[in-house]
Amino acid sequence: MDRLAKRLRENAEDIQVTVSDELDRRITASLQGIEPLPDKPVRSGHPASFWWASTITGVVAAAAVVAIINWRVPAPVATEEAVDLAAVVPEIDWKAESAMLTSPLQQELDDLEADLRKAEEKVKQDIGL
Amino acid sequence: MAAQAGSVGAFTDLVHSYRERLLRFLLTRCANFADAEDALQDTLINAFRYIKTYDSRWRFSTWLYRIAIRNAARSRSGDVLPPGDLCDEESDPLRQCISDSEIENLWLSARRLLNDEVFAAMWLRYAEDMSIKDIAAVLDRSASWTKVNLMRGRRVLDEEMNRAVTESEAYG
Repeated sequence: MDRLAKRLRENAEDIQVTVSDELDRRITASLQGIEPLPDKPVRSGHPASFWWASTITGVVAAAAVVAIINWRVPAPVATEEAVDLAAVVPEIDWKAESAMLTSPLQQELDDLEADLRKAEEKVKQDIGL
Repeated sequence: MAAQAGSVGAFTDLVHSYRERLLRFLLTRCANFADAEDALQDTLINAFRYIKTYDSRWRFSTWLYRIAIRNAARSRSGDVLPPGDLCDEESDPLRQCISDSEIENLWLSARRLLNDEVFAAMWLRYAEDMSIKDIAAVLDRSASWTKVNLMRGRRVLDEEMNRAVTESEAYG
């Protein structure tokens, strides 16, 4: 036993109490006037037929719900008529100007052709034609 | 067991050795001596009333303390102040039952420093020598909770004890 445990035990023993004769008499008198209660609470027993009746009622109720759900007339399916889109959609006036991109491309083509001609002439000079 | 059969005499004999231990414990939890006595009386009456529900797998003292704690809590439920502040030093029933000593009784410090449940756990462990399992059953707590809080209680009281010793040495 460690120091703290020893001290706590000794200090507990230092607390001096006695049950007075008057308290003793009071307790004894109180005990005389009561009866111990039964060890287990008495169950409010239902007869066996109650169990069967509740089971059958439950099963019947479940069957009724299933039947009601399955026998319900299906709601009519909505049908749609064909719609003429041409009549509905407004005609769109596509007005777009073509981009003027020919000028720089033409210049590029002329340059390439000039380069090609120069190259042909150089090749002819080289081979002595 | 004759007491379980409803014999008042057998029950009185059975609880005779527990009465003063219970009263001492209840004194630490009640505002005054009269409340502690009433709580003891109620504890024994309830124990007798429900003696047939007592399960012999438990220690009888464990079962009694469980009832006692509930009765003490009930007797205190009308009080406005928390237990540590219930009474001033002069009217403190626990202090009145302790003979004067130079070193303060550690249980007085425990009651001041620990909360109700930890105090009860410490008391049951060190004054009543109960096992962790029994303390947990009395307090309706888990064994882990009991272990942890016993350790906390020990740490607090250890510090308090060392502080008191240091002070008494310093003052000669």
